[in-house]
Amino acid sequence: MVKLIRQLLATTIAVGALATAAHAAGPEIVAGPSADAKCFKPWTPETKFFKFPKKEGPYRIALANGFIGNTWRIQMIQTAKAYSEQPDVKAKLKEFKVVSTGDDVAAQIAAVDNFINSGYDAIVVNAQNPTSFKPVIKRAKAAGVVLVAFDNTLDTDEAINVNVDQKGLGELWGQWLVDHLPEGGKILEVRGVTGTSVDRDRHEGVQEVLAKSGKKFETVEVNGRWDDGTAQKVTADAVAVHKKFDGVTAQGGSTGTVRALMDAGHAFVPVGAETENGFRKLCAEHSADGLKCTSAGSGPAQVAVAIKTAIAALEGDVVPQSIALPLAIDHDPDFKDGVNFYSKESDNFFVGNSFPDCGINFTAQEIMGQSKENQ
Amino acid sequence: MKTGALSNWRYWIAHNAGVLTAVVLFAAMFTLYISNHSAGLTPAVATTAANKAVLLALVAMAQTLPVLTRGLDLSVGMVFVMANCIASTIVVGTVGEGLLGIVAVLLIGALAGFINGAIVVWGRLQPIITTLATGAVYYGISLFVRPGPGGDVQSDIADLLTGQLFGAIPAALVVLLVVVLVVWVPYRRSVLGRAAYAVGSNEQAAYMSGVPVQRAKLLAYTLAGVLASIAGLMLTFNTYSGEASAPIAGTYTLNSIAAVVIGGTSLFGGWGSAIGSIFGAFVLRTIEDLLFVFDLPPLWQPLFQGVVLLFAVSLGAFRILRVRNRLELFS
Repeated sequence: MVKLIRQLLATTIAVGALATAAHAAGPEIVAGPSADAKCFKPWTPETKFFKFPKKEGPYRIALANGFIGNTWRIQMIQTAKAYSEQPDVKAKLKEFKVVSTGDDVAAQIAAVDNFINSGYDAIVVNAQNPTSFKPVIKRAKAAGVVLVAFDNTLDTDEAINVNVDQKGLGELWGQWLVDHLPEGGKILEVRGVTGTSVDRDRHEGVQEVLAKSGKKFETVEVNGRWDDGTAQKVTADAVAVHKKFDGVTAQGGSTGTVRALMDAGHAFVPVGAETENGFRKLCAEHSADGLKCTSAGSGPAQVAVAIKTAIAALEGDVVPQSIALPLAIDHDPDFKDGVNFYSKESDNFFVGNSFPDCGINFTAQEIMGQSKENQ
Repeated sequence: MKTGALSNWRYWIAHNAGVLTAVVLFAAMFTLYISNHSAGLTPAVATTAANKAVLLALVAMAQTLPVLTRGLDLSVGMVFVMANCIASTIVVGTVGEGLLGIVAVLLIGALAGFINGAIVVWGRLQPIITTLATGAVYYGISLFVRPGPGGDVQSDIADLLTGQLFGAIPAALVVLLVVVLVVWVPYRRSVLGRAAYAVGSNEQAAYMSGVPVQRAKLLAYTLAGVLASIAGLMLTFNTYSGEASAPIAGTYTLNSIAAVVIGGTSLFGGWGSAIGSIFGAFVLRTIEDLLFVFDLPPLWQPLFQGVVLLFAVSLGAFRILRVRNRLELFS
């Protein structure tokens, strides 16, 4: 018994020592601005700046993705691969590994833990849930690993977040509907993957603007999982039940959403949705019939900004804790073939895919085209 | 005497072939995983694997009990998520308060399981339909408790149960072992536990033989609720938060059935063990882990997982093809 207690005590002390060491391994909080102020824009004036201890390259970097199975995620992974293959980036990387774990948040946590255990220098995540990574953030910090979340970010100020203003995107869509529906009306809101921060923030943005407009809006919510097939199905179901909507907003799967309306013989109405090429094709074609669209979104290339941030942090550069990226916005009547949509190309890619301020200039066609050749 | 011992031994092998297949399959896969892992088998690597595997192992154990009575519990994943959401609300505060919260979550899990059992036994509804419906109710409760992801958990208990004992043994494995020793082993040896096998094998014959059919089913579903809620607690300790996620509930329900099959338990009831399901769950989780050590193109990973899963389930399902009850051949 005494032995057991002694062992327990020893463990406690060891753990305590580890925790102290852990504290030392975290980033230093410094004054801004960041090393690349044009690309790494702080989210607010109050955003902290991190300076990690400089590590010698080349680095081992991992991408721990959660949900996969829609165009955006596929384009995101292809962009990550293409970015890591660029000569100047490749020179800094010893290894770049991608794993997708699906909906199961425990599996994604285990994935990040596994990368920490294997001694990766930085881990980039598209988090399945904004709140459940607290223990992982702690462990990453203890191990001196740079953790960068993008798209679906983490509710924390201990890890780096890279994102567009997801709530602002919802507000933009909501405002579009408010502007085009002077009488208010019944809105179909096609939401994304439940539980994620992006779904939550976009939804809140839409709802707040509709509520603030003072007009009478009623919303019907369905879950399209940011996927054309799913969005098309749930939209068809919603139209079958509710018969008529005055406006539509979709977080993703926008092409499927509009196609479902057309298949059901539903009248063309104003739509606020993402930047899929297919959606923009339909918007341009049916603008005169009443399909008035705003097409705005977060480019899948933000993964490249996240990787760039991770490398900068490892090189000891100052980076903001929370980085704001610009939205890609185009709306009716500004859709121009060959400029902001491509009528001869596939429906299935997101048009906005470059962040020129960060030197990331992939066109979506390059990315999705390249993947086909590789396979 | 010697031949007797030998035939006993052979009988034991034959009887546990399903479990042994799962154990061998797991051992082979895990060895493959560790031998290709850049860090090897360190306590941290083992703990990461254990934390993830134990969640599914507990849900798979929960699934096993109704399956043994020739039922199916489609609500295990929902009870798991419900326990997670409730735990992220009440397993907070001091260690004492946290422990009280744990007890409350276990009781709620037991109640959820009991309701399933009561509807199956007294409502005489098909288990698959019953639990589909109650599962939706439990998910509704989860959403009500936690509309968006968040919450917290007592971090001392959480760190203890997801960390390492003596810096080497994954605590989650110890939790699983305790659950096996405290729940499964006594249950398997009890009258009602054996009655569950009899019910699953042939309900009419069991009834005619005076086996307490109703109580056996009630206990099986209630314990399934308890086991699923233990898994929900462990998920909370892993994530420090709760989330009413329908995809997670669905994933765990379906994977629990796969784990049961890989573990050699017959979906027709009356044959198998929760131990097999544990290893079935370990096999499933190791399939995911293999993605780390093999450099597969990211978009091919789901395909790879599916193919390996099909292979594993086929191995486990060999036993399902056997004649369930030889008496039926004569009827």
